[in-house]
Amino acid sequence: MTGRIGSRIALALLGLTIFLALWQGIIWLRGYPAFILPPPAAVMARLWELVADGSLWFHAGATLQEVLAGLGLGALAATLLGYGLAHSPVAERLLAPYIVASQSVPVVAVAPLLVIWFGTGLLSKVLVSALIVFFPILVNTIVGVRSVGRNLRDLMRALEATRWQVVWLLELPAALPVLLGGLKVGATLAVIGAVVGEFVASDRGLGYLLKQGQQLYDTPLVFVGIGALVVMAQSLYGTVALLERGVVRWRET
Amino acid sequence: MPQDASDAARVGKDVHCHRRRESENGVSMAKPDRSLLRVERLEMGYRRPDRWLPVLDGVSFEVEGGEFVCLVGPSGCGKTTLLRLVAGLERPTSGRVLLDGVEVDRPSRSVGIVFQEPTLMGWRTVEANVALPLEVNRTPRGKALRRARALLELVGLSGFEETYPAQLSGGMAQRVALARALVHDPRVLLLDEPFGALDALTRERMALELLRIWRARRKTVVMVTHSVPEAVFLADRVLVLGPRPASVVAQVEVDLPRPRTAEVMGTVSFAAPARQIREALNRAASSP
Ligand SMILES: Nc1ncnc2c1ncn2[C@@H]1O[C@H](COP(=O)(O)OP(=O)(O)OP(=O)(O)O)[C@@H](O)[C@H]1O
Ligand SMILES: [Mg+2]
Repeated sequence: MTGRIGSRIALALLGLTIFLALWQGIIWLRGYPAFILPPPAAVMARLWELVADGSLWFHAGATLQEVLAGLGLGALAATLLGYGLAHSPVAERLLAPYIVASQSVPVVAVAPLLVIWFGTGLLSKVLVSALIVFFPILVNTIVGVRSVGRNLRDLMRALEATRWQVVWLLELPAALPVLLGGLKVGATLAVIGAVVGEFVASDRGLGYLLKQGQQLYDTPLVFVGIGALVVMAQSLYGTVALLERGVVRWRET
Repeated sequence: MPQDASDAARVGKDVHCHRRRESENGVSMAKPDRSLLRVERLEMGYRRPDRWLPVLDGVSFEVEGGEFVCLVGPSGCGKTTLLRLVAGLERPTSGRVLLDGVEVDRPSRSVGIVFQEPTLMGWRTVEANVALPLEVNRTPRGKALRRARALLELVGLSGFEETYPAQLSGGMAQRVALARALVHDPRVLLLDEPFGALDALTRERMALELLRIWRARRKTVVMVTHSVPEAVFLADRVLVLGPRPASVVAQVEVDLPRPRTAEVMGTVSFAAPARQIREALNRAASSP
């Protein structure tokens, strides 16, 4: 077990080394100026500055707040509506065209509208993030709740279970693997949503940092921003994946 | 219709009270309750895209308290449908089911069901699956687990409490389902081909175990099976259903002494009811 983890870490380090070597190699070969492609060392130095003066934490914290709130709100709304639609084919047929149509509108196009309506503060970013998270979780909720077998439903009826017991003891655990699958996708999408919102109008957040970097040709700053976003999205994804593995343990072996 | 239903409920209550008075006087203490379950002229069908599919056509029978009744009939004749009606999971188009004199119009805890397909919750351990009915009726957790374990012992699954259903064989899964159907002590047990998916040897062993459990728990059992020997081996009485739309075409009493063992299957008193059942099935199949 420890051996496997050790070799995994070694492999990851090897990959990182090759990546950095290629990166540095291209710069040496082609002689790009730093504002086009900064060398790894320059990015590291910029990262260190941002860590030292606390601004990285500040901006990353702002984005994380938007992401978590957006993910929470989007997931909650999608789960509740999805549950309703799963139980009401009529409502589903009524709403499905609008839900699908809403998906063909790019979030980037809606974001400015949300900023006009809800201001340049936290709320508009949370809403952009929630919006983008909404659909995959909605679909997965419907699929998950519909996957509950007829016999298990009948069993609960025969036991005179209350509505709430059916949700809690049957539908939720039965749908949980699929729900968590949706949440996993949603976690990475939520980060995209928050950054899109910050691009439209903001005074903080990693998206704001990226825009600053672009306007000042501070390319190392842009790299740091991208790196921070990747780390954030990956950690969220990893957290849900871990949760998933803990929950659906019963499936294996 | 609502008038009828309330009348039936009232009459049912009267019958109930009457019986209780009787037993308090000690008059009928020794006798088992007569006709715990009454099925009266049940008709039922399903809507198909193009037409109405009649499934049950006037099914009537009675089951006494403590009796073991088997239902046999050709595949697709409506046996599962009939059990679902008795369980209150489905409403008939006409006729009615009376449990203890009261019309069954919705599912109730006084009935325990084992479905034709293994129906366990994959995310619960075996003991948590068995304890489910007690969790639903809000029995304290410790007591529920103790009862669940006792029943697992009864069905011969001690040691598998913490196992997940995915790791069980088909026969073990059905025994878990049986334990779950018994755990909240229902009066009637409805079994829908519980051993359908098992090999012949396991089936025989399960049949013996079922008899042992039935004797230990004194339940009223209605069991669907498509095996004639199994029906004769288990039942006090075998009801033969005709092809769809089904009705009861024969009732065969089985007068084998109990407790029954596997040896009984070679005897003449075993062969006679088995032949009667087969003849009834064949007659029903060949008549239009
Ligand atoms: N929910 C349903 N909707 C429509 N038709 C149904 C439904 N359930 C059963 N049927 C039909 O009713 C008929 C009787 O079905 P049922 O399951 O009661 O038969 P069965 O006697 O239990 O069969 P088997 O021995 O194969 O289990 C079949 O023709 C079946 O196709
Ligand atoms: Mg059936």
